[in-house]
Amino acid sequence: MTAPLDLASYAFDGTTSWQSKPDVVVFPTTAEQVSQIMKLATAQKIPVTPRGAGSNLSGGSVPVSAGIVLCMTRMNKILKIDADSFTVTTEVGVVLNDLNLELTKQNLFFPPDPQSFLAATIGGCVSENAGGPYAVKYGVFKHYLLGLTAVLPNGAIVKLGGNTVKNVTGYDLPQILCGSEGTLAVITQVTLRLLPLPPSHRTVVAVFDKVVTSGQAVHKVLTAGILPAKIEMMDNWVIRRIEETTPLGLPLDAGSMLLFELDGTQSAVDKDVESVIKSCQQAGAINVRAAKDAGEAANFWTARRAGFSAIYGASPNIFAEDVTVPISHIADLIDKVQQIAKKYDLTIVIIGHAGDGNLHPSVLTDKKNAEHYARAEKAVDEIFLAALEYGGAISGEHGIGLEKKRFMKQAMQPEAIDLLRGIKKVFDPDNILNPGKIWEEKS
Amino acid sequence: MKTLPESLPAREGDNLDDANKCMKCGFCMYNCPIYKVDHIESHVARGRNVLIRQANEKTIPTDAEYAERLSYCLLCGRCAAICPAKVQSPDINVAARTDVVNRKGLSLPKRVIYRGILKNRKLMANLLGAAAIVPGVSTKDGKPLRHMADFTSVFTKGLSLPKLSKPFLSSLLPAKTSPPQGVKIKGQVAIFPGCAFEFFFADIGEGIAQVLAKAGYEVVYIKDLTCCGLAVRSAGDLKTAQQMAKHNIQKLAKFDRIITGCATCGSALKDYGKWFGDKDPFKKQAQEFSAKVSDFSEFLAKEGIKSKAAEPVVVTYHDPCHMKWHQGISSQPRELLRSIEGVKFVEMEGADDCCGLGGAFTLAHRDISLAIQDKKMQNIKNTGAQIVVTSCPGCLIQLKDGVRRNKLPVKVMHISELMRGTEDK
Ligand SMILES: Cc1cc2nc3c(=O)[nH]c(=O)nc-3n(C[C@H](O)[C@H](O)[C@H](O)COP(=O)(O)OP(=O)(O)OC[C@H]3O[C@@H](n4cnc5c(N)ncnc54)[C@H](O)[C@@H]3O)c2cc1C
Ligand code: SF4
Ligand code: SF4
Repeated sequence: MTAPLDLASYAFDGTTSWQSKPDVVVFPTTAEQVSQIMKLATAQKIPVTPRGAGSNLSGGSVPVSAGIVLCMTRMNKILKIDADSFTVTTEVGVVLNDLNLELTKQNLFFPPDPQSFLAATIGGCVSENAGGPYAVKYGVFKHYLLGLTAVLPNGAIVKLGGNTVKNVTGYDLPQILCGSEGTLAVITQVTLRLLPLPPSHRTVVAVFDKVVTSGQAVHKVLTAGILPAKIEMMDNWVIRRIEETTPLGLPLDAGSMLLFELDGTQSAVDKDVESVIKSCQQAGAINVRAAKDAGEAANFWTARRAGFSAIYGASPNIFAEDVTVPISHIADLIDKVQQIAKKYDLTIVIIGHAGDGNLHPSVLTDKKNAEHYARAEKAVDEIFLAALEYGGAISGEHGIGLEKKRFMKQAMQPEAIDLLRGIKKVFDPDNILNPGKIWEEKS
Repeated sequence: MKTLPESLPAREGDNLDDANKCMKCGFCMYNCPIYKVDHIESHVARGRNVLIRQANEKTIPTDAEYAERLSYCLLCGRCAAICPAKVQSPDINVAARTDVVNRKGLSLPKRVIYRGILKNRKLMANLLGAAAIVPGVSTKDGKPLRHMADFTSVFTKGLSLPKLSKPFLSSLLPAKTSPPQGVKIKGQVAIFPGCAFEFFFADIGEGIAQVLAKAGYEVVYIKDLTCCGLAVRSAGDLKTAQQMAKHNIQKLAKFDRIITGCATCGSALKDYGKWFGDKDPFKKQAQEFSAKVSDFSEFLAKEGIKSKAAEPVVVTYHDPCHMKWHQGISSQPRELLRSIEGVKFVEMEGADDCCGLGGAFTLAHRDISLAIQDKKMQNIKNTGAQIVVTSCPGCLIQLKDGVRRNKLPVKVMHISELMRGTEDK
């Protein structure tokens, strides 16, 4: 596909600030086709940017050096669901939600749940090492990646890893590709580990007067020895927006709200629910209770998802940040973000996967208002620095891409960045795969 | 940044600037029938919103290439239903098409069809009536000369259109249909037949009136209504569409309840209020009119009427886009079907997946339309149903075409047909 208007719709991803048109978009349907394209690209030194649904939030699938966009969405077959050995082998263009629908039919469970599951492809998720609310208990994509087929820049088709959870045959190469943001090889097929679907779920809602108190409550619950499947946090701004669009009877004056999901066998879940309620009360919750039934629980989780959308609908540009800190520092980070908001006179909304220390402080701004935008950028810089100070990471799940590469120097030692460069060289000596991402070129 | 000119609606959803509200999350790709087939991002709301935004900012030209991208859309409303930012992408697309028409004008054939024929009911009746005299062309004439359907299919890239009705509804249905003897009169309603029930499926149009009458309503039929205007508006000719709306609203002003058996007409009539700009003095009247419109099944589901099938049948239901996604009606027709004695209702997989017609879409992009249709046919086949029921003549045409192409032993019916044939005495 080369028509300018078609190319224009492949010039962006889920971010608001990056745009660059490719010269051509191709839709391979087999690994062999990918291999031929890569051989051609290597021979002609043409940049290649792999793309799934283009829903990432870091600029990862924007073809900044133009060239070829290799769109994987037509490789969308689920190849084999093995209910006996709890694995699934699938092509990379399958949308995560479609995979989940198939698995649920067979009582199987694939926990990583990036909240973009309606759009994101398996290939994009592996390449961003995505994860969502379930990460607290179940981890992220890399914890489920057993093996994969990939095409190297020189066109070689390689099978890496295997089908088993335990596998120590040499370096763990699938894990190097996981989270590599399309810079090392094009993944065409993956084998993922599955779990049996937990028989029982319950939800607990806890309301707090301050965001900081809710941060402390998260810590308290976890240190009491309970591991909820999800712990999600919403601040007052989000609660009010949700009530505006989908009234659920949430308390409008609450400073913050936590949602817990407990899963497992019925009796264990019931016990955990009691324990979570107790811990929240001890931490100073104004109100805490279990959802009456599955219907009410579902409403709360829908509200949580609506929360993220509410943020996106709220202003022309959003910096939806993705910082992560060790759980003991959640309250500190929240405190700091609120100070930063005051200092720069900005609205910074806090929503996040509080259970794993991954918060999305979202700065509302407008690119057309240059002065405001500049303040917002400064605030973002300070949030990043704060996260690093508390021993955290600048990205929990969205990846570096273009959005965050200028912070790599603060986040990693120079020697470590050199290791990244070295790995890149081994895979892609000509630097044709998704060039210009993750780290800044040496000047 | 450019908004629409003064004379055109400037309501929230119709504003081209709304394209800016798209946060590019890509969820619409999950729901879009066209993207699901071709996986091309310039053919789905997210990509199109970017193009529309760029056209607004004048960084790309609004040329034929641009208009072509706007055409890859069924205006089915699924993207808006799933959109977390509540972006009304189909409305944005219609606004963009209108913008193109305002700048470039319509092609001559379209001008003739939209501004001449569709708008002028009498002319349409005469033109189509001339066709109906040709033996074998109309539904009531059995002689196998050539079917109008086969004849027109040459012009419609293989889609077989239904045969013309003979006579048209206007000669079939009296101005008033009263409830049968012994049925208590509950009130009066006016029906809006729409072009399809007027010219192509006149017998169904008649049946709709009769079922309503049996439910206890005096049914008024006004002959000189015009087309609902949706196809014209979708193509971007808002001015003509507004004139059609005005005509229909004025003709039906004195009735308290207007019923239509056509999902497409229903979604148009219910939207009339939005077709006029905030500053347009006619807006208020249009809004009041819209509030009085009900779909046939939406209206009857509340009536608790009893009916019985002639013999036990297995029935499945196809949700028209204009019914489920535009009007939010999906439980009512199912309730009605379940209430018919002798009907075993089975749900098909993907009942609310598009049939692939999308008005003029099927003609412009026949290959994609067929790919969508094939999937639907497979799902219908899997249910083992003898009858597939739907509530929109457009879907009837597309489903009948699919059944014919796939040689399925399945009847395609409008919901009123089943209720009419099976009414209790
Ligand atoms: C509303 C919203 C909510 C989100 N919530 C979360 C969340 O909760 N958790 C989370 O982790 N993330 C979240 N994300 C971001 C998430 O990382 C992406 O949605 C997803 O991982 C990307 O999948 P994709 O198919 O869109 O890939 P793309 O965006 O197209 O690509 C992502 C990267 O992977 C590369 N790539 C894609 N396919 C391949 C392949 N086959 N081989 C090699 N490289 C490839 C691309 O070059 C690019 O660098 C969210 C995004 C949105 C829009
Ligand atoms: S779902 Fe809505 S916000 Fe998301 S890309 Fe589509 S139109 Fe834009
Ligand atoms: S209206 Fe339907 S066809 Fe058009 S973009 Fe939305 S989902 Fe796709």
